[in-house]
Amino acid sequence: MIMMEKVSETAAGTRKNTNRRIPFLVIASVLWIVFVVGVALLADQIAPYQYTALDLPNRLASPFHPQHLLGTDELGRDILSRLIVSVRISVLVALGATLISACFGTTMGFAAAHFRGRIEQFILMLADFQAAMPFLILSLSVLAFFGNALPLFIGLMGFYGWERYARISRGLAISASAQGYAGAVRQLGASPTRVYLRHILPNISSTLIVSMTLTFPEIILMESSLSFLGLGVQPPLTSLGNMVGYGREYMTRAPWIMFAPAVLIVTTTLAISLLGDWLRDRLDKGLQ
Amino acid sequence: MLRFAAIRILRAVLTIALVVTFAFLVLRLSGDPARSIMGDDASPEAMAAFRREWGLDQPLWAQYLHYFAAILHGELGRSMRGGGPALDLVLGRIPATLMLTLPALLMKLAIGIPAGIYAALHRDSAIDRAVMVTAVAGYTVPSFVLGLVLVQVLAIWFAWLPTGGTGSLQHLILPIITLGVGGAAVLARFVRSAMLEVLGQPYIRTASAKGIPWAAVVRGHALPNAAIPTVTIVGFMVGNLIAGAVVVESVFSWPGLGNLLVVSVTARDLAVVQCILLLVAVAMVLSNLIVDFLYGFLDPRLAEANSTGGH
Repeated sequence: MIMMEKVSETAAGTRKNTNRRIPFLVIASVLWIVFVVGVALLADQIAPYQYTALDLPNRLASPFHPQHLLGTDELGRDILSRLIVSVRISVLVALGATLISACFGTTMGFAAAHFRGRIEQFILMLADFQAAMPFLILSLSVLAFFGNALPLFIGLMGFYGWERYARISRGLAISASAQGYAGAVRQLGASPTRVYLRHILPNISSTLIVSMTLTFPEIILMESSLSFLGLGVQPPLTSLGNMVGYGREYMTRAPWIMFAPAVLIVTTTLAISLLGDWLRDRLDKGLQ
Repeated sequence: MLRFAAIRILRAVLTIALVVTFAFLVLRLSGDPARSIMGDDASPEAMAAFRREWGLDQPLWAQYLHYFAAILHGELGRSMRGGGPALDLVLGRIPATLMLTLPALLMKLAIGIPAGIYAALHRDSAIDRAVMVTAVAGYTVPSFVLGLVLVQVLAIWFAWLPTGGTGSLQHLILPIITLGVGGAAVLARFVRSAMLEVLGQPYIRTASAKGIPWAAVVRGHALPNAAIPTVTIVGFMVGNLIAGAVVVESVFSWPGLGNLLVVSVTARDLAVVQCILLLVAVAMVLSNLIVDFLYGFLDPRLAEANSTGGH
């Protein structure tokens, strides 16, 4: 009994709390995300060196070297410059993939909600299949056999998590169709495309945005795992996972090569996850 | 119930057929395997002989039918590199992978479930916060980073454990911890939110208002209901037993299935990759099937709803 009261009391307490002010961690996360995106956008302007430029006399220089703040790798390439360019590539891949996945998934969900019947069953079966297979295994087989151009890699990562958007948008679109506003627009003669894109989509967008925020860090992790295995972003291009993968060979002599990108992967995914969790708690009870 | 079982089994078989089709399409349409295996400078006669030997000179639909029929006979092709049957090669690697993933699964369950339950029951306490912070961290730190940090600290600086490879029980410790920590974090987070969901239900308040001791309410009402969503994620972990260690095996140079997959993908060894893909699919589908039946057992309403055609 006492326990029970305590649970509901504290639950009510935190709810009031979250309504009043934004937690410090969330503010810090947002600042960090803004910083990372800024670095990605301004990569060419702020990188001190060309990311492929060699400085052979200063190979494997340790951090706080007068010319190389974060040290250099086995070919004397500046770690800071490589890091900045890696951030750009990793953000680009994750952003591109998230947008593709959200668009594709939502379209499939709307299609399922609109046509029902066989088509709906087929889309749901595809979604079940995607959810059941480990994405890493699927993408490993696709990647190595199709080669590794960057646009293709982004496209492949765009399949990550589409089934979640499909399920969410299907469910929401079915319930929205039954509501007055969708019926009213349909009675006025709007085409299905117009009903879905102009009327239903804006009404369910907050849920979709929350699930994009929750999927984004997973895509960063997936991209860096594949690049770490040497099967994702290919040299001379560089990404965060790719830097860790190659830095690992110099782990004993130059741990800083893999340390900096590893820290960046962890802090960035952490920041986006914290933001996503907070957004979900505030905006969308239904996703929990 | 019988209808429920029949639908589930049919779906499972369909899913596997879908994977076979996927594997065939992706692996065959993506390039000329003869060229990539033999190299660009192989003589045309040698290429033709290679294509004939692997059936690559037939039309695609014939290859597909042939492939499907062969799989039904348990014939999964021969490794193009080693020459031995791909299935034997793949099955030979499974024990090594299970040596890592089975103890890691036990570790996930032993840490994740109690931590999640405890955190939910003591919501907003210091321990709840600690569990949640650890859980978020465990979920956002990729396994290769965790593995490399453990190697750096425990194997290189302190030299307590080997950095990688096989040979003794000590070689198992780091890979198992690396695999277990992330999974335990995910599980703890999941169990916590499942428990909180159940604890907020009216029947919990009713039960405790009737004067049932809190411990009995938790044991009799909260835990069984929170078990239902938890079974799903545990089922996924079980299905992942044979393929869930790709990255960790690569970090620790462990000669398991994941390592074989990475090597075969790099070398474009079609038969082996297909074989692994199929095996993983079968494992996932089987564990999903078991989860579905467990659902029907844990919550008879679900079996009812499904067998009457509702989704």
